[in-house]
Amino acid sequence: MNLAIIGCGGMGRMHAQLAANCGFKLVACADKRKENAEALADAHKADAVRNPMAAIRRADVDVVGIMTPTPTHTQYVVAAAEAGKDVFCEKPFGRTVQQCKEAIAAVKKAKVKLFVGHVVRYFQEFEAMRQQVADGKVGKVGFVKLYRGGIFPVGVDGWFRDYEQSGGVTFDSMIHDLDWLRYVFGDASRVFCQALRRTTPECIDYAQATFRMKSGVIAKVIGTWAHPSGFRVEAEICGDKGMIQFNSDETPMKTMKRTRPGEVPGMIVPGSPVPVSPYQLEWEDFQVWREGKAQARVTPDDALEAVRMAAAALKSADTGKPVRL
Amino acid sequence: MAKIGMMSFAHMHAYSYAACLNELPEAEFVAVWDDSANRGRAAAKQFGTSFVGGLEKFLALDTDGVIVTSENVKHPALVEAAAKAGKWILCEKPLAPTVKEAKAMVAACKKAGVGLGTAFPCRYSPPLIAVKDLIASGEYGTLYAANCTNNGQFPGGWFANDELAGGGATMDHTVHVADVLRWMTGKEFVSVYCENGALLHPRIKTDDLGSLHLEMEDGLQVSHIASWSRSESFPTWGDVTLEIVAEKGVIAVDAFNQKLNVYNDDAVRAEWAYWGGNPDLGLVKDFVAAVEGRREPAVTGVDGLRAVEVTVAAYKSARSGRKVRV
Repeated sequence: MNLAIIGCGGMGRMHAQLAANCGFKLVACADKRKENAEALADAHKADAVRNPMAAIRRADVDVVGIMTPTPTHTQYVVAAAEAGKDVFCEKPFGRTVQQCKEAIAAVKKAKVKLFVGHVVRYFQEFEAMRQQVADGKVGKVGFVKLYRGGIFPVGVDGWFRDYEQSGGVTFDSMIHDLDWLRYVFGDASRVFCQALRRTTPECIDYAQATFRMKSGVIAKVIGTWAHPSGFRVEAEICGDKGMIQFNSDETPMKTMKRTRPGEVPGMIVPGSPVPVSPYQLEWEDFQVWREGKAQARVTPDDALEAVRMAAAALKSADTGKPVRL
Repeated sequence: MAKIGMMSFAHMHAYSYAACLNELPEAEFVAVWDDSANRGRAAAKQFGTSFVGGLEKFLALDTDGVIVTSENVKHPALVEAAAKAGKWILCEKPLAPTVKEAKAMVAACKKAGVGLGTAFPCRYSPPLIAVKDLIASGEYGTLYAANCTNNGQFPGGWFANDELAGGGATMDHTVHVADVLRWMTGKEFVSVYCENGALLHPRIKTDDLGSLHLEMEDGLQVSHIASWSRSESFPTWGDVTLEIVAEKGVIAVDAFNQKLNVYNDDAVRAEWAYWGGNPDLGLVKDFVAAVEGRREPAVTGVDGLRAVEVTVAAYKSARSGRKVRV
């Protein structure tokens, strides 16, 4: 089980370790920034290459991990499929519905497996909420509210700031909640969305969307890259006999480090320690699927539908009108 | 001393306003009128005042002002009758179910030369006042977006019947936040998109939740949830929250989040014991001062009308599936 990682920034480094924990051997690292590729390669005794296609096509590579900026995803998925490799791609796996369809067609044709990292399905708190709903704790659900975000991400060469490329908070962050929404409550029929996407005087994005699901459920989804610091997730599910709330600010531990003179004081919220990280669970699920034991929790079509929802939200934000899905 | 009467105890806020009248030394709570004699008598007894059954007889009493807290659809007739009788009026929100009626009420009061106020107590909430002051200071720069909620528990009774309420949660719980935003920003609403329905209480004859997307002047992007979504087991009545995204930062306010968590084995649910200021007292105090000074209340009938325009447009949007101009 040999792995190539394309994109050796923060996400690439994290996924390389998680894959290694699942028994993968990292053999090739590609990044247009040579030092990133070399650093990761050194840590895993792998080869660093400049050209991603060279890493993808290596005969000894079984799986390609794609952790580059969004606009490059589709071309690498297609190349990996054509080379007969299974693919683990960070979300979203394309910037448009059309790109995602092309990627799926290539994967089907090559009979390889494509897993897209919609990791929220593996978060313990979200899985617990899904279970509570399934157990009927709130009765028939009528309303869902999901909130996610914090600071504007930096990214390589500030690629997030180019909203055409990144799709902003809607495409990069809210898409997690859109996938989970559809996973638990089924398909959406229409969306109305407002998205700030400001570039002056500085980059901030704030997206507010209402989805009407085919079941009739109303879902309000908010994504923020407008906060000066921090990161927060909130969820609320209302039914005809109760409601569930989740707030990531309520953590089992908080740390406050005493600062030395001249240091800027800060508060670090490390989140909730869990036995197995949701990102690790993704790799385990992918591997179980590769071994033919069970279908992974996220299918390529699921990932396509999440992109369709995000694209519809942005179309609504652009036109000022509701958009049918 | 301002002599005040109350018209109907159909709305639960009447009980809070009545308590405020009794708390204010500058007000005299003269009488209660109610089209439900039993309810009116009980309220009069509770607050140590007298009950007067006939509307004409009540309006002929020596009072300076009245507080109208009837079912929403009865506001127009009661306000216009009180205006004709020369009374200063504080009307419960929403001012009226339709824009036409709200305009007629404003005109009738102007013609009669009496002050008309709309009961938007949020303007007297200390946390919301602090946010307004912060925005006014300019410290946070230009406002870009706001994400708001006014959630509540299901009020039941006539609230759940369009024939008496004129609208559901979308109406009941949009007007407060619409007014707060106008008051805080000094901007008017331009358009609204709304999805709503009876989502949590499917048998009611109105909506219990609305999800609104509004645009204010200068492109300010606002979204709002107006709901009766808090379950019976929820520890408090509901909330008013705003997250405001601005040029120089974010301001988040949860106006009634000044509470203790109380766990009492005799109760079926945990409860929040609120210890913050009472916005209703500020509202009633201003009305009493307006009556005494023969001036307009601080929150006017026109403010009530503007909020009605927003909710009426929201219903039009929900029915048509389109964004509607306010």
